[in-house]
Parts: sequence; structure tokens; C-alpha cells
Amino acid sequence: MKILVPCKRVPDPDQKPRLNADGSNIDDVAVSFILNPFDAIAVEEALRIREVAHPDTEIVAVGICPVDGEAELRTALAMGADRALLVEHAGMSDPWNVARLLAAVVEREQPGLVLMGKQAVDDDSNQTGQFLAALLNWPQATFASQLEFFDGGLRVHRETDLGIEIIRVTLPAVVTADLRLNEPRYASLPSILKAKKKSIEHTTPAELGVALEPRVQLLSMEVVNSQRQCEQVSNAADLLARLREAEVIE
Amino acid sequence: MSENISDVIIIGAGVAGLSTAMQLAKRGASVRVLEREQIGNGSTGRAAGLLGQLRGTSEHTRMLMDGVKIVKELEELADVEIYVQTGSVRVAETPERAREITDLVKIGRSIEFDIDHITIDELAERMPHMHTDDLIEACWCPTDGHLQPSELALAYHKVGKAHGVAYQTNCPVTGVLLDGDKVTGVQTSQGDFHAPIIVNAAGPWSYLVADLAGTTLPNAALGHVYLTTQPNPDHPVDRLSPGFRNRHHRIYGRPENGGLLVGIYGEDCPEYDMDTLPVDFDMSAMKARLDDIHLAMLIHSAQQRFPWINERTPMHVTTGIMTFTPDGRPFCGQLPGHEGLYHCTGFSGHGIVQSPVIGVIMSELILDGKSSYDIESIEADRYWEVPGFQDRVEIKERCYKMQGSYYGRVEGEISGTS
Repeated sequence: MKILVPCKRVPDPDQKPRLNADGSNIDDVAVSFILNPFDAIAVEEALRIREVAHPDTEIVAVGICPVDGEAELRTALAMGADRALLVEHAGMSDPWNVARLLAAVVEREQPGLVLMGKQAVDDDSNQTGQFLAALLNWPQATFASQLEFFDGGLRVHRETDLGIEIIRVTLPAVVTADLRLNEPRYASLPSILKAKKKSIEHTTPAELGVALEPRVQLLSMEVVNSQRQCEQVSNAADLLARLREAEVIE
Repeated sequence: MSENISDVIIIGAGVAGLSTAMQLAKRGASVRVLEREQIGNGSTGRAAGLLGQLRGTSEHTRMLMDGVKIVKELEELADVEIYVQTGSVRVAETPERAREITDLVKIGRSIEFDIDHITIDELAERMPHMHTDDLIEACWCPTDGHLQPSELALAYHKVGKAHGVAYQTNCPVTGVLLDGDKVTGVQTSQGDFHAPIIVNAAGPWSYLVADLAGTTLPNAALGHVYLTTQPNPDHPVDRLSPGFRNRHHRIYGRPENGGLLVGIYGEDCPEYDMDTLPVDFDMSAMKARLDDIHLAMLIHSAQQRFPWINERTPMHVTTGIMTFTPDGRPFCGQLPGHEGLYHCTGFSGHGIVQSPVIGVIMSELILDGKSSYDIESIEADRYWEVPGFQDRVEIKERCYKMQGSYYGRVEGEISGTS
């Protein structure tokens, strides 16, 4: 089986972002990127499928980013993905267009499963997986917290606000990973070194036959000031008094 | 102390600044501590705190042993547990490293430090979680252990506060005020503060503070990483199991919360130019990438000694920034041309355990003009006239090499024994 894992690079959520000069977006020169944590969970799940259920699985990581944005695809390779594909695209990309590009990649790669993060931690859209399933006319299982192969399909535990929902989907399918699906591994030294040597195939939206048609426009961006003001209190009673003072409790 | 005037201003509320503040205040000085972020949130908050008292010189060993006494008093005063006496082992798998241990035992005994050889069987009994089959030599120091960094910082703060120290957090220093060659105060985001004595205890930022005063401090900010495994019922790590140093694999470690903490002094490490980091950079938010090469090297090395550790072991990874000097020893005291500006930084991965006695030394230097310890090897001006040590590129290069050689070189009688 082939598993396609879309891997988005996102600004490191642990570092405070800066805006560019005209305030139109995050300054992506000053920012450091990481692999979207939910996509890392998807990579990990694909690795586990290869390790346990289907040893003949090929794992393909795909990124849509500027031509020099290979680093986060290398993270996926270092974790254990077999190969990586970079769709060159600079600038704004809304979930609809990302889904269209991914659908074209699916057309080309013919995977049996698309495993991806439920959302990216930068824009928190949580739409791409759903759009992609619709475009492909494939079943979708979103917010997956557990996966098992079952009767030629997948049995998926979904985390919903009402509790765990268990559904069965036929393959091929789109599955989006939730936080509790697994804990991604750190890459081992040999695989980091191996990943450095792997070549990453590049393609473009034009080559994939996709003309981007932006439907969402980013108007402006502002940083919310959340400066912590800490003060040491001497004991619990003092803490309670201060909380009352601040009208946090009665 | 009046609103913005004190006897002493200390820049940096890590263990070095906090300990110095406490000792100065105990002797009656009015002290203000200025911290860019929160108390103990920089290197202090990321430290492992391993206490290995046996150092390359008897004077350094004496300092660390006295430090333990100070910590024990602090525990009483602040009612916290800081010092965890687990004992420590050093292990060797090559004849070269075995000789190193034999030399150390000799040095230790000559200054009446409690140290002895132990057999590999004894070692295996003390450390069932360690792979010992390939080891040929080990030694045991029963009075070693580790200091809990946040508890230590908390205790300094608590006792300092009781002696009147004022702590100003979220208060980055933006300038140093000078009158000729004398310091008179600092500019901060919260206004100017005045004092005839300023202590630069800003850790990795300390060379930037020196820059603000128009002088050069030859230290550099280098990255460091350690991991802490989650408790594993198959490989329990007793909370009093010994700390260890395994120089061949460049690793050290100790028990932590039912798991094992393992850190590395690798051959290379990330370098940081502190002036290029955001002004509100928060060290406690640093995280390792999933494909961080230094972490991978750490895991690889840890696995050689603890085969049950691998990249899939449930673990917490801590990354932070240390302040290294070209010889691995701190800078304590003034530099020529800047009267009243005392530096107290560059602890090269050993700040927690040196901090108790460093506070005493700094307070003596400031109030008495000299220390009761022989501090020649840690004086701030020891590189002042050495060619190349006014040049950042050269400084970084030397400090980087020092870090790389920390566990790499074989220990001699004079060199430090980290």
C-alpha cells in the first residue's frame, strides 16, 4: 500500500511571531518553521502501519511551500518516510486550493490512504482533509485517535465533543489525525543522515495541471499582546486574596 | 533603599545573580536585582544541576564542598529540599579512561575527598538500569549528588527577600550609565536605576551587557540538550540512584522523577548570537525539532550505556543555552577600565553547583576588595591581554572548542573535571 502524508511547514508555535513591515502577514524571514505537529502525528501513524500491519507500505510525504522549504519534508524523511515531493508555491494558499493541489498529487501517486493532520497549528483551518475527501469522492475519517485495519477497510476512533465515535471506512480514504493518535518519535541519527542525502522531487501547480483560484483573501494580521506579568505570592491565603482582588474568584 | 538608588544592582536573576544578591544583602548591602524575564527562567531553569565536587584543583573542590554547606543552611532557612545526595559514579570502558579514573581517585584522596574505586559488579548493583558489561573501571563518590535548580533559585530568592533584596522582573537592561570609567547605573525598560556597583550576571546575555558598557567579555552562548525518560516499570530508576559521568560517550546523568535524565557534551553544539534573538526571547519555550541532530546524537550515545533508551522512548527533551568561556571556568570580578562593573558569568554548564560559593566570593570581592578563596583561575580579567580575546569571532571559536573538548579530552591533573 502507498500512504500519502501531506506535511505543512508552520511557524514554530513556541516562538513569538513577528509581522512583516506592512502588517499584512507573518514575517516568514524572521520566523523558524517546524513540521505541523498534527502532520508529524500522521507521519508517525504511517510509520507504525508500515512497522506493524503492512510492512510493504510506501510512505510519501508531500509539501506545498516555497522552493527552499525542504527542511520540514526532511523531518518527515528523517522520521522514516520513504520519499518526499515538494509542490513549489510561494505566498498565500487557502485550504481549498491546497486540497485541489493534493487531489492532483493523489491522482498522480494513487495512494491507498491519505493520512494528514486534522489541522495546521498556524491558521487552524481544519478544512483541507475534508475538501480533499470531497474532491476525490473518497470516504473521510476526521479527528482520528485510533486506527486499525479491519475487513479490507479501516476502523477509526474519532474524538468528538460527545465522546469517541467509532466508524468504518473503505479504502482509499482520507484520515485526519487528532492529538491522541500517537506520540511522534524523534528521528534517529542514522535516519537523519540518510534523510539528508535523499533527493526531494519538485513539481509545480502547473505541472500538476492546477490553476490556483484563491477564494480566501488575507486582509490583515495583528499580534495579540499577551505579556505575562508574574508576581510571587507568599502563601495560599495571599494567592486567594489576590485572585479575589482581580475578581477572578468571589 | 530609595526608589531607584541602591548599593548594588545585579543584572540577571539566575542562580549566579540570586546567590550574589543574597550574600550581599546578608552583609547589609542594599541590592536590586533586574531580570529581563522571570526569576530563574534562563539557563537556571533548564539546568540538570549535577554536583561533582571533585575538580581539577583542590581549591575548586574546596569551593564546591563549601557550597554544599551553604546549600544545607539554605534548606533549613527556606524549608525546601535542594541537595539530593545520591552519590556519583564515573565509568570507563577504555584503558585511557580507566587511567583517568585512577588519577582522579588519587587526587581525591590527596585532598581527603571521599572517593574510591568500585568493582563493576558493585556498580551493576547500584545501577541496575545501566549496561555495565563493557566497563573496565569505575569510581564512587558517596557525597556527590545533584542540586535541584528551581528549588535552589527559590531559596536564594526567599532568603534574599527576607534580607531586603528588591527584585524587578520583566525589566530588560538597555544601557549602562557611566561617569568616566566608573559605572553609575543602568537604563531599563522600567526607567533608570542607580548604583556605584553593577554585577553582570546575565548568563548568555552577559557579553551583550559588557557591550553596553563598552567592554568585551570573552564568553559565548552555546546550546545544550538533555532528555528525561518517563518512568518505565521495566527499568526503574530509584530516586537515590547515583549520578553518573561516562566521558567516553560524552554523557552524564542522574535520576529524575522516576525516570533517567541524560545529557551530552557533544563534539559540536548550536551557537547562538544572543543579539539576533527576539528581545522577548523566552528560553523556557525552546524545543527540539523531531529531527534535531544534537538530540539524535544524545539518544544514540545514551543508548550505548542504557540500551533501553531509543528515539521512541517516552521522554521529555530539554534544550537551553549555556554560557561558555575559553577555559570552561567562570568570569568573576572587574575588567580594566570599568570601575564598579563586576562580572559573574560563564559557568560553562556548572553554574548551579558553583553558585552557592560564587555568591560568597562576589560579595567578598565587592565589599572587601578581595576573596577568602584563591580565585586566580576564575578572575574576569585573565584573558584581557591575551591576543584575540577582544574579537567575537575568535572568542566564539575558542569557547566552542572548549565545549567540544569537555568530555573529549582525557583528564589531566590540572584541567577541569566536569
